[in-house]
Amino acid sequence: MRNAPGMNNRHGHHQHYSKEQLTVNDLSQTLKQLWHYLVKKRIQLFMVFLFTIVTTVVSIVGTRLNGIIIDQYISSDRLRMLTIICSIMVGMYLFSSIFNWLQNHFMVLISQDTSASIRHDIFSSMQRLPLTYFDHHPSGDLMSRMTNDVDNINTALMQTFIQLFTGIITVIGMLIAMLIVSPMLTVVVLVASLGTYVFSRAIARATQSSFIHQQEELGVLNSEIEETLSGKKTIQLFERTDQILSDFKATNQRYVDHAYRAQFFSGTMGPLNNMVNNLAYAAITIIGAIAIIKGYSGITVGVIFSFLIYLRDFNGPIRNMLDLINTLQLSIASAERVFEVVNATPEPDEEQLPPTASIKGEVVLKHVSFGYEPGVNILKDLSITAKPGETVAIVGPTGAGKTTTINLLTKLYPLNAGTITIDGINIDQIRRQDLRRNIAIVQQEPFLFSMTVKENILLGRPNATDADVVTAAKAANADSFIRLLPQGYDTPLTDGAQNLSQGQRQLLSIARAFIAQTPLLILDEATSSIDTKTELDIQEATTQLMQDKTSFVIAHRLSTIQNADQIIVVNHGEIVERGTHENLLAANGFYAALYNSQFSNLQS
Amino acid sequence: MLNIIWQHTRGWQRVCLFAAPLIMLGEVFSDLQQPTLMAHIVDTGLKNGGNNQVIVQTGIWMVFFAILGMFCGSGCNAFGSYASLKMGQALRNHLMDLSLKTRNGQEISTPTLITRITNDVIQMQNLVMTLTRSMIRAPFLLLGGIVMAAIVSPKIAWILFIVVPVLLIFMGAIIAYSVPLFTKMQRAIDHINLVMRENLLGIKTVKSYVLEKQQYDNFQTTNNQVKQASVNAQQSVIILSPIVTVVLNISVVAALWFGGRLHTQNLISDGQIIAFVNYMIQITNAMINTIDTVSSLSRAQTATIRIREILNLPHDAPQSETVALPAANSIQFDHVNFAYLGAENVLTDINFNLKDGQKLGIIGTTGSGKTTLVDLLTRLYDVTAGSIKVGGININDLTLSQLRHKIAVAPQTSTLFSGTIASNLRYGSETATTTDLKQAAQTAAADEFISTREQGLEAPVTQRGNNFSGGQKQRLNIARALVAKPDILILDDVTSAVNLATDARIQRALRQDRKGKTTVTIAQRISSIVDSDLILVLDQGRLVAQGTHAQLLQSSPFYQEVAQTQLGGGQHA
Repeated sequence: MRNAPGMNNRHGHHQHYSKEQLTVNDLSQTLKQLWHYLVKKRIQLFMVFLFTIVTTVVSIVGTRLNGIIIDQYISSDRLRMLTIICSIMVGMYLFSSIFNWLQNHFMVLISQDTSASIRHDIFSSMQRLPLTYFDHHPSGDLMSRMTNDVDNINTALMQTFIQLFTGIITVIGMLIAMLIVSPMLTVVVLVASLGTYVFSRAIARATQSSFIHQQEELGVLNSEIEETLSGKKTIQLFERTDQILSDFKATNQRYVDHAYRAQFFSGTMGPLNNMVNNLAYAAITIIGAIAIIKGYSGITVGVIFSFLIYLRDFNGPIRNMLDLINTLQLSIASAERVFEVVNATPEPDEEQLPPTASIKGEVVLKHVSFGYEPGVNILKDLSITAKPGETVAIVGPTGAGKTTTINLLTKLYPLNAGTITIDGINIDQIRRQDLRRNIAIVQQEPFLFSMTVKENILLGRPNATDADVVTAAKAANADSFIRLLPQGYDTPLTDGAQNLSQGQRQLLSIARAFIAQTPLLILDEATSSIDTKTELDIQEATTQLMQDKTSFVIAHRLSTIQNADQIIVVNHGEIVERGTHENLLAANGFYAALYNSQFSNLQS
Repeated sequence: MLNIIWQHTRGWQRVCLFAAPLIMLGEVFSDLQQPTLMAHIVDTGLKNGGNNQVIVQTGIWMVFFAILGMFCGSGCNAFGSYASLKMGQALRNHLMDLSLKTRNGQEISTPTLITRITNDVIQMQNLVMTLTRSMIRAPFLLLGGIVMAAIVSPKIAWILFIVVPVLLIFMGAIIAYSVPLFTKMQRAIDHINLVMRENLLGIKTVKSYVLEKQQYDNFQTTNNQVKQASVNAQQSVIILSPIVTVVLNISVVAALWFGGRLHTQNLISDGQIIAFVNYMIQITNAMINTIDTVSSLSRAQTATIRIREILNLPHDAPQSETVALPAANSIQFDHVNFAYLGAENVLTDINFNLKDGQKLGIIGTTGSGKTTLVDLLTRLYDVTAGSIKVGGININDLTLSQLRHKIAVAPQTSTLFSGTIASNLRYGSETATTTDLKQAAQTAAADEFISTREQGLEAPVTQRGNNFSGGQKQRLNIARALVAKPDILILDDVTSAVNLATDARIQRALRQDRKGKTTVTIAQRISSIVDSDLILVLDQGRLVAQGTHAQLLQSSPFYQEVAQTQLGGGQHA
C-alpha cells in the first residue's frame, strides 16, 4: 500500500487500530516512567482528587435533595422548610462550583507543566544523541514523536487520568446513593448502562474493518493528491492530465464508498445510545409509578425524580470511561515512543578529558577503518597526513566514502579501527566540543536557521562583534547581496532559508566559517546547480578561506584540485591514488580517467 | 460557504441535504416528548390511588418515541453522511481538475494546494455533516425545550427567560475572550515545531558548530512560551463548566422553590415541576452543543475561504485546432517579455532565432530566467508581450496539445510517479514499444542501473521515485523525454546530479541521437553546450550575449569568466 507519512494520522479518528500491541514489560516500564512525571505533581494531584470528591458528593446529594424536596416539602406544602433547604442548596452549589473551578485550574497547570517537561526531556535527550541515531530515525518520525505523541500524552493526563478518576468516584458514589434509595430502580439504570456498552461494542466491532479500509483508502487518496500535484508540470508537459484525473476519480470513488460504509454504521451509535437512555427513562417512570401504586419499597415521586437525573449523571461517566480506555491505549503507545527517544543512549560523556588549548592543525589519519553497520566497513585502512596549513583535496566517484571520511574528523562517528591525531593528540582524548570549535565546516547543502542573517553568521562564533560579522561577510563575498536584502544584516531568513538562492546560502555558510577563525577547515564543495556568477564568488571566497588553515576539501572544482597540496583519490572506501594534480595526470591512472571524463566533450 | 456545497451536489444528494435535517427534527420532537409523558404518568397515572391504564398507555408512547427517535437519528445520519461524502468527492474532483489544468499557477504553492485538497476538503465534508445534524439538532432542542417547558408548566417558565439569555451571553463572552488566546497558543506551537524541526534537519550543523547550548536555550524559551500560552488559553475556558453547572443547579432550586409556593395554591403539580427541571437539563445541554457547533462553523469558515481561492483560479477556455502543426522546427523569440501576475518582469526583451535542426544552449545565473524561457516555449505560461514562433507559426495559435506533441521536455526537477519504470517512460509516448524504451534508456545512460533491478523495465517506482537516487531519476527523466521522439527536445539542467563520467556518456549519446534535430539545452556546465549552434547568455532576465562558443569567448566577459572557472586555466579554450 502506498502511504503518505504524516498525512494520514492527522485526521485518523481510529488510528489506534493500527498500533501494535504493547508487551507487558514495556507497559509497566512506560507506566512507571509516566508516573515519575506525575509524582512531581503529587500535592496538586492530591488537591484535584480532594476537590473532585467534594464536587461529586455535592452533585449526588443535591440530586437526592431535589427528590426529597418534592416529597416532603412541596407535596406536603411545608414552605418555611422549603425556603431554608433551598437556601442551603444554593450555598452548597456555589461552594462546589468554586471547587470545580479550582479542580480544572490545577489540572491545566499540571498537564501543561508535565507536557512542557516531557517536551523538554525529549529535546534535551535529542541534543545528546549521536549522529548515527538520526541516520536510523527519519526526521519526520522524530518530529511526530515530539509533536503528536507528546500531545497524546497530554490528552491522556488532562482528560483520561482525571476523568477516569472522577468517573470512578461518581460511579461508585452514585451507585451507593442509588442502592440506598431504591435497589429496584438501580437495576434499571444498570441494565441501561449495560445496554449502551453492548451496543457500542457491537457497533465498534462491526465497523472496525470498515474504518481500517476507510483510513487505508484515505491514505492512498492523499498520497495520490500529493504525488499528482507535485508532478503537475511533468503531467502537463506530457499531456497526461485527463488520464491522471480519471485515475484520481476512481480512487476518490473507492474512498467515498468505504467511508460511507464506515460512517453509516458508526453514525447509528449515537441514536442507539440515545434510545437506550430514553427507554431507561421510560422504564424508571413506569416501574416507579407502578411501584408507588402497589406500595413497594418506599418509592415516591421524589425518588423517580432523583433517578431520572441519576440516569443521566451515571451513564455519562460510564460511556466516557469506555472511550477513555481507547484513548489511554493510544497515549501509552505514544508515551512509549517518546520515552524510546528520552531513554536512547547518548554520546559518551567526556567530562573527564582535559580541555584542549589551541590547535596548530597537523592532522594524521592512521589505518582508519569505519562502517555504519558493524562488520561492514565503508572505509578501509585510510592513512592521510596533513601538515598545518596544507590543503588536502579528496576526490572520487559518488559513494566512494568522501563525506564519511570528513565526518570522522569531527567525531560525528566513532572509528572502528585506526587512529586520528591532531597535533599528535588522539582525538579520542579531545572533548567533542573542543575539537569542533577548532574546525569550521562548510557543508555541501548548508543549513541555515530561521533567524536573521547576522545571527546565522554569528553561529560560527557567538561572541563575535557586528564588525566581525561584516568583515566575515565581505571576505565571503556575501556582503554585497546581504546589503540588498530588505533589512540588510537583520533580514530574517524564512523556514529553510527559501528566501535566498542556493548560492547565497552557500556564501552565508562560508561567512559563518570565516567568522569561526579556526585552524582547521572542512569543505564539502557543491556539485550542482550553482549559477556561474555566484560560483565565481564562492570559488574566490573559499580560496581565501583555505589560506593558513589545514583544509580537507571534497573537491569538485578544477581550480581547487589544481591548487591542493595533495590529492587523495578514493574509490570504494580505499585510497587508490595520491599525489599532486600534475603527478596524478602523469601517472595516467584512475584520477586521469576521472579528470579527462569531464573534458572529453571538448575533444569530440 | 453554502454555494460551494450547493454547486458540488446534485440530484439525490441535494434531496439528502434537506432530508437529513428534516428527519433530525423527528428525533428532536421524540426526545422532547419524554418529560411531558413522564409528567402525565406522575400527575394523571398516580392520581386517586393510581390508574394502571394511563400508566401503561403513556408508557407505550414513551417507548414508541424512544424507538422513533432512534430511527430518525440513524436516518439523518445516513442521509447526512451520503450528502457530505458525495459533496467532498465532487469538490475534490473539481479542485484536482482545476489544479491540474490551470497554467499560471503561481498564486498557491504546491504544499499549500496539497493541504487544501486533503485537509480542507475533509473539513468541508465535516461541515456538511454538522450543518445537517448538530446545526439543526442543538438549536431546535434548545427552542423546543423552551416551548415544551412553557407548555407543561407555564407558571414557572419565566425562569428560563432569565437563565437562557444570561447563559448565552456569558458563553458568548467567554468564547470571544478565549479565541484570541487560542490563536496565540497555536502560534506558539507552530513556533516550537519550527525550532524542533530545524534542530533535527540541521543536526549536523548543530553538532559541528557546537550549537547544542544555543539551540537548547532557544528551545527552553519557546517551550516556556508554549506552556504559558496554553495555560492562558485553557484557563480562559475552564470557568465555563463551573458557571454553567452552578447556574443550572440554582435554577433547579429556583424552580423547586417557586414551584413549591405555587403548589400550595394548586397552581402546579409535582409532575409539572419534575418535567420542567428535566427540560431545563435538556436545554442546558443543547446550549452547550449549540456553542460547540457555532465554533466549529467558524473553523470551517477558514477552510472555505482557502478552498474558494482555488476555485477562483483563472482557467483557460478550451481551444480548438485552427492551424495545422508546422513541419519545420525553428524557434523564434520576438521581443518577448514575461512577468508573473502583477510582479516585475522575469524576462525582458528576449530576441533570438534558431534555425530548424539547430542546437540551442542557454547559460546564466540562478534566477536569470532560463527555465522561465523554456516554460514560455511550451506555454506553461503565456508571454506578457512579444511573440514566440515555432516553425514560423505563433504558438498562441496552436493548441496546447499540438504544441506539446511537438516539444518534449526533460524538466529540471525530475519527477517520477509511482508505478513502474516502463509506465514512467511511457509518459513520453503511450504507444512506445519495449525496444523504444530500451533505446531511450540507453541514450540516457539509464540502462546500466535498470538492468541491475530484478524486474528491469517493470521494476517498481515508489512515490516520487524515492527508491531511485537523484542521478538515476535524472537519467529516467531524460529517457522519458526521448521516448516521445520529439521534433524539439528541451533539456533543463538535467545532469546536475550525474557524475562526470556518466554525464560525458550521456552528452555523447545525445549528440548522436539528436543529430539534425532541434534541441534546447540549459546547462550549468559549459561542456554540455559548448558545441551548440547558438548559445544564449542570460543575466537577470535579459539576454546579455548570444553566439557560438568561440564568438562568446571573444565578445562576452561574463562567458569568459565562466569558461575560465569551469574549464580551468584556459588550457582548453
